[in-house]
Amino acid sequence: MQFTGLPFSTIMTLAGVVAVGVTVLYLLKLRKRRIQVPFSHLWSRVLANKRTQTSFWRRFRRILSWLLHIIMVALLAFALADPHPSDEAVKGRHLLLLIDNSASMAATDVSGGADRMDVARQKAAEILDSVGPEDRVMLAAFNEHIQPLSPFVAQASLLEKPLQEIEAVATGTSYDDALSFAADSLRGTTDAQLVLISDGAGLREATLDKFDFGENTIIRHLKVGESGGNIGVTAFNVRRYLSNKLDYELFVQVRNYFDRSVEAELEIYADGRLVDTKPIRLEANETKQDFYPSQAVAGERLEARVRLTSRDARDHFPMDNRAFAMLPKTQKASVLLVSDGNLFLEGPLMLNLNIKLKKVATAEYTPEMSGQYDVTLFDRFAPPKDILPEAGNFVFFNPPAENSPWEVSGVIEDPIITTVQKSHPLMRWITLKDLNITEASQWRTGRWDSVVASSFGKPIVVTRAEVDQKMVGIAFDIQKSDLPLRVALPVLMINIIDYFTLDDASYIPNYTTGETWAVDLGIDVDKATVTRPSGEQIEVPAFNKRALFQGDEIGFYTITASTSGENPTKVRQTIAGNLSNPEESRITPTDLELGDKEVEQGVDNLIFERNELWIWAILALLALLLLEWFSYNRRITV
Amino acid sequence: MAPKDDPFDDAFLKKLEYLYVVSKKIVAGKNQAKRKTRLVGSGIDFADHRPYAPGDDFRGLDWKVFARTQKLFLRLFEEEEDLYIYFLIDCSPSMILGEPTKWEYAKKLVAALGYIGLSNLDRVSVIPFSSKLDGRLPPARGKAQIFKIFDFLRKLEPGKNTSLEDAFSTFVTQNKRQGIAVVLSDFYDPSGFEEGLNKLRYFKFEPIVLHIYDERELNPTLQGEMELVDVETGEVCRVTLTPELVREYRQAFIDFSDELEDYCTRKSVLYFRVPIQEAFDELVLRVFRAGGFLK
Repeated sequence: MQFTGLPFSTIMTLAGVVAVGVTVLYLLKLRKRRIQVPFSHLWSRVLANKRTQTSFWRRFRRILSWLLHIIMVALLAFALADPHPSDEAVKGRHLLLLIDNSASMAATDVSGGADRMDVARQKAAEILDSVGPEDRVMLAAFNEHIQPLSPFVAQASLLEKPLQEIEAVATGTSYDDALSFAADSLRGTTDAQLVLISDGAGLREATLDKFDFGENTIIRHLKVGESGGNIGVTAFNVRRYLSNKLDYELFVQVRNYFDRSVEAELEIYADGRLVDTKPIRLEANETKQDFYPSQAVAGERLEARVRLTSRDARDHFPMDNRAFAMLPKTQKASVLLVSDGNLFLEGPLMLNLNIKLKKVATAEYTPEMSGQYDVTLFDRFAPPKDILPEAGNFVFFNPPAENSPWEVSGVIEDPIITTVQKSHPLMRWITLKDLNITEASQWRTGRWDSVVASSFGKPIVVTRAEVDQKMVGIAFDIQKSDLPLRVALPVLMINIIDYFTLDDASYIPNYTTGETWAVDLGIDVDKATVTRPSGEQIEVPAFNKRALFQGDEIGFYTITASTSGENPTKVRQTIAGNLSNPEESRITPTDLELGDKEVEQGVDNLIFERNELWIWAILALLALLLLEWFSYNRRITV
Repeated sequence: MAPKDDPFDDAFLKKLEYLYVVSKKIVAGKNQAKRKTRLVGSGIDFADHRPYAPGDDFRGLDWKVFARTQKLFLRLFEEEEDLYIYFLIDCSPSMILGEPTKWEYAKKLVAALGYIGLSNLDRVSVIPFSSKLDGRLPPARGKAQIFKIFDFLRKLEPGKNTSLEDAFSTFVTQNKRQGIAVVLSDFYDPSGFEEGLNKLRYFKFEPIVLHIYDERELNPTLQGEMELVDVETGEVCRVTLTPELVREYRQAFIDFSDELEDYCTRKSVLYFRVPIQEAFDELVLRVFRAGGFLK
């Protein structure tokens, strides 16, 4: 037997004082009420019989009453000492409840709860209910990041509210971060115990043996989840065609996590409307990637949903069944052609519906004009270098040597295109190898230049990219070549315009939940407002024209920001956040293994079943009190 | 004029008159014979003869008998006499406990029975007693004497402890004229009631016992640690009253009453158990129903 209550000497002192008090009270005779009776002989006659019969009992019962009270005092002293069996642990433990709230915890393959998260909360609540008064408990949730919800606290009830507020988020799982945090938190504490409540899904390493928990730390893994049946969209994106901005193509990756083949339907939604359904069949554990070209449906917000159609299979993880993408808006490129007349250049530009063309004569050109257009084309003309705007997109067709951005060192007679960067956007779908050119300027290129096509090492087509200024240079006069006779000219014109305008606008990247997102706002602000898919609005910091935040929901996020001052600028941008995590979609519950560190599965022996013997002592005391009360009122012990 | 809270007011007197009328109805046809005295004297109705003794009034000699027998015999005539009713009322402190008290009840009872006696031309005397006789209302006759009884009863003071034997010894010594001795008492005499009642019987009084008690004495509501002080003797009895003990006390009281009743039955003494919770006029009628002894 061990005692954890008041010091023994204190208890003995208290008990002794109370026992003496009780004894003194018993020695004091009770003052009796005086009642006048008409004839005491009748009473005497009754009492005479009683006295002869019970004189011994009368003495004994008084001692018995005193003994009852002394026993009560002893029981009270026993309770104050807080006794426990000698083999029972009575020292407080440091208990860290680490609860996985990554996306896989939203899987519904559990009984007794709505999803794995629900079951995890229940199990954690059971543990909190069972901890002892000396225990210290810390609560933390983890997904891609660790989120401590409390320090070590003695009052477990304080953790119930934060526990109930833990929700599964659409992010991956970083066991490294979680276990590193747990090791740091538990190191140096007495009787440390880590309880990891997780499905184990998303484990990237077979073993996580690099953490030093200390020798005495007990690690428990409470596995939640029963099945791994899942099919999900693991990648989804959309891109407009460069040649036809009205059309776009989809990229979808769907993965089957079943151990057998399943059938499914891929549904495409545009702005909430179902626009296409594509049946797919996936073999066991197969990942299928597909491009779906020529999607000519209007709409900016696209969504891909995969729906399992095999009747004998059940998808337990609906969170990855949806993926989202933003389709950039179609915009007409505004082009300023500075030329004194060149139908070969004007033709392709005028015929293209996606281009808004303005033509000015070289004499009428002023640098301010370029600021109003996406691209400025100079045909055999170049403004003086000192008046060329520092920002803008410029194309030079055979610029005169005195104002040319490239230093002209000579003339190349009958150049032959010998080298072409086929992957360069300017060279897409065209070939210049057999192009006949009368002559071309011989340019010297600088460090900002990139040669796209050259003739024996001499640049013919050059691009220059500076901070705010992009240029394309064609070193020959197209009228002194057979390029106008080729289909390559209109394609080259489109490529040039797209080179400046579509590279950014034709593609809006998707963001992966759990990562830090840097969304380009285009304006310099300190903060921006993000409206999450759930409708919740949060303020996020912005730096270097980018809003920085983390998304943990799938769906569309809207970021708004505005500058202040005389000419305020307002920006509104929508992006898509997707889980896009094939590892997290693998929801099969997995046991945690930590190298040579033993991990106990389950928490059966964690429950703090302390034998609170003091309660029994108090109950016995109450029983004795009742007995004393009964015996006194029934005049047994008086 | 009677005091304001006087129990013997006009209303009480009217009630007594009513009781008297009712009592006559009750006894009619039931007790036809008039009470005869055992004395012979100057009555009208012949009773008996007895031999002449010197000193007898020779006017009573029956000469016809002398003519036939040559012996002197006196003619004895029955003499109708008035009845003496003695109300022996216990005024010991044990009668005065409680509210209302047995003492008040007993006084009313004496007044009622006395009035009926006076109405029958009996001689009524009221004698309070405790350990001795505490005063005396001499025998009075006639209805008008009821006010004397009232006055006497009003002025009565409680006495000391009860001693039936001592009190009744004095009574029989002082009252040579036998009659009915109505004893109104709780009979709480430590030395017992037998000797006292025997005294009355031995001296040819005809005792009638009205055992007055309070129902609250029978069923005390006390519980706990008590010091029971005898109101007469001052004797202290320490006791822890339990329901069981109260039950035993109740049984002892019943035994005590039964002993008294048994004694009376054995000695042919009329006995009435009179709880003061019973209306006294009902009791009076009960007494008449039981014996009609007043006529």
